[in-house]
Amino acid sequence: MILLEILTKSFWAGIAAIGFAVLFNVPRRVILSIWTLGALGGLIKFSAIHFDIGIVFASFLASTAIGIVSIQMAHMRNSPPLVFSIPSVIPMVPGIFAYKMMLGLIALTNIENTDAYTQTLIQTVNNGAKTMFILISLGIGVAIPMLLTRKESIKKLKINKSKKAAV
Amino acid sequence: MNILKEDAQLVGAILLDVGASLMSSGASTHRTRITLERMAKGLGYGIELLITQRALMLTIIEKDQQYLFSRLKRTSPHGVNFRVVSGISHLSWNVYEQDWTVAQITEELLRLKSLPHYPRLIILGMVGLAGAAFCRIFGGGYTEMTVAFIATVAGLFVRQEATKVRFNPYICVYFAAFTASMIAGLAEHFQIGADPEKAFATSVLFLVPGVPLINSVTDLMDGNIQNGIVRAMNGLMIAFSIAMGLYSAKMILNF
Repeated sequence: MILLEILTKSFWAGIAAIGFAVLFNVPRRVILSIWTLGALGGLIKFSAIHFDIGIVFASFLASTAIGIVSIQMAHMRNSPPLVFSIPSVIPMVPGIFAYKMMLGLIALTNIENTDAYTQTLIQTVNNGAKTMFILISLGIGVAIPMLLTRKESIKKLKINKSKKAAV
Repeated sequence: MNILKEDAQLVGAILLDVGASLMSSGASTHRTRITLERMAKGLGYGIELLITQRALMLTIIEKDQQYLFSRLKRTSPHGVNFRVVSGISHLSWNVYEQDWTVAQITEELLRLKSLPHYPRLIILGMVGLAGAAFCRIFGGGYTEMTVAFIATVAGLFVRQEATKVRFNPYICVYFAAFTASMIAGLAEHFQIGADPEKAFATSVLFLVPGVPLINSVTDLMDGNIQNGIVRAMNGLMIAFSIAMGLYSAKMILNF
């Protein structure tokens, strides 16, 4: 039952990724790959959250997986990896936390009761910290394959090696 | 260094054009830099670059400094377009590996810039579906998903129209957030669906500044601290506009 719930959520995460892909005008040939990546990211993130790994580390795991698979996709579909990774990662961008933080800051301007102030302050700082760290983990996760392989372009990763061997 | 094949002025102008297109289409600073350096190398020049969010500066270096080229170019904020990013990536490899001429590059760049966007109805529909998907992810049922769909489509429509008549981009986001949260808030007001505040919270998620924020982290990681901070600030401004839109709608509904 929980598995089914995670699977449906992942399906919809893929749909959300496609929505952003269309908004960003990606080439038509990569849309299906973006759905796959978005759903994969959702699957990993929601499973990790189910196993009580915090949302920050869950996002990190999911975006790392997206980063690695998007390089393979880039070879297959002949487009730079960011075309795949950014739309599929965006459903995980902590939009709700970001604007809850903003609304909290606005609310802080007209609270005078100390208890209510402390409560709002705690929530605002919590939302802000979540926003920041989730964003950082998404950015690093997507960049990890390039950081580990230390190559300037993915073209130098596989295809060119085989070319050199042929020459 | 190779023998000069093309006039340095032409090469510099086209490189600046490519760089400006990349920056305004949502590529990171590092990607813009390596793409331009690769193209310059393919054409037989060395270049030095200064890349900022709104302007590019390029100096061409060649052996005996017969030709001088050093110029600034403003980049226009267009909105993300990954078709251009993908196309320019191909273009740069063609220049590097197959010795394309400047005329060929100009032609290809023009073609890439004139490539069509998706039809407007498809964009509205798909982004609306994305809004419904967000609502489903946060635990909404079918009624809430429908509300989120309608709110998202209306919000995006307002944003497109506001962009067309050239409002300030943050004001466009504000209008869109206000419209979307107003529609979702009305649904909450009249108690449509079992869990109406889910639709309210997710109706504005399509406005989330994902590309500026992710590119900001990428730039910071690559050591382009200045650009990273500028992009982060831009993302925060957009988040602030969204929050103001939500806040206005909430104020009116609670009145």
